[in-house]
Amino acid sequence: MMDLIAGLALGALFGAALQLSGASSHTKITQALRLKDLTIIKLIVVAIGVGLIGVHLLDLSGWAHMKVKDLYLPGIVVAGLIFGVGFAVTGYCPGTALVAAAEGKPDAWVTVLGGMFGALVFAFMFPDLETFLFSFGEYGPVTIHGLLGIQGAILAIPLGGFCLWLAARLPGSGGAQ
Amino acid sequence: MTHETLALHGTGHKDTNPVLGWWSGGVAIGIVLVLAVALFQPIGVSTQYVVLDGVLLHNVLPDVASKSPYLAKATQGWTLATFEFFFVLGIPLGALMAAMATARFTTRVVPTEWNKRFGSNPGNRLVWSFVGGFLLLFGARFGGGCTSGHMISGVSQLAVSSLVFSSALFASAIVTARWMYGDWGK
Repeated sequence: MMDLIAGLALGALFGAALQLSGASSHTKITQALRLKDLTIIKLIVVAIGVGLIGVHLLDLSGWAHMKVKDLYLPGIVVAGLIFGVGFAVTGYCPGTALVAAAEGKPDAWVTVLGGMFGALVFAFMFPDLETFLFSFGEYGPVTIHGLLGIQGAILAIPLGGFCLWLAARLPGSGGAQ
Repeated sequence: MTHETLALHGTGHKDTNPVLGWWSGGVAIGIVLVLAVALFQPIGVSTQYVVLDGVLLHNVLPDVASKSPYLAKATQGWTLATFEFFFVLGIPLGALMAAMATARFTTRVVPTEWNKRFGSNPGNRLVWSFVGGFLLLFGARFGGGCTSGHMISGVSQLAVSSLVFSSALFASAIVTARWMYGDWGK
């Protein structure tokens, strides 16, 4: 029961942060992808910077519940390319579509429905796709620090700092700071 | 004409105006991730689309649902009572409260930038929103994550798969967006 409440509360915080930052705005997203207004890129880079530092500090303390996704080539590249087209067409991602839908935007409702259908089609195509694409180029849950054989924090903390610096250096929009 | 310009302005303003800066917003998202990693596991959204599909299908056509090993694996025990699902359930809840609190609730169908390029036909926008949504979740499930799971959680953990996915995603999204919105040659 506690985990459900914690999940709901964390999700609500996430949804509110995305909404208030303009991440559910088709205009803001497509302008970021067209490299005309980098606000959303700066937002993502700051989130990753804080994440890199925070997650790896937790990991050093032994409190982190890490979950690294498997690497399979070329499947993951194809997947990213397909996702990118959907991202540009809708102006939403699976999370911000939920935010935009809650804000009242009907096109986001349809995006969520399209997403549920896409996920269902994938689920039934999976057995065929699995033998086709996941059978080679499967490397398991590899990380950069794992490949280098070093402690994650050694790499993650400077890299996190670099992300925060980069976000500050990237040109802004002149809008809300 | 005045009416249309006004309406466009109205939606444009509501659609683009963030009230929280990228710095505070980014820190808030980062903190959500760190708390989630401390308490349970990294954040993710796209798996829960499959879980909802699975549970709904299992309620209507249990035989069909059970035939998909992918659905059965994603939706363990055909239940929605998990940390992961409630996290995703919380997203629209928090977003609704934020939109209400800042009076930024809007029922516009056609976004400003879409209108400029493809016109104000709502049917057109809705059809492409469905197609785009399909590609988003098909791609996300194919890759095992989305912007949350791969880009924010995965890159923060220095996962190679997430760096590859995010690079491919941005390359494809930037090319598509610049082509779609007619930026070539400008």
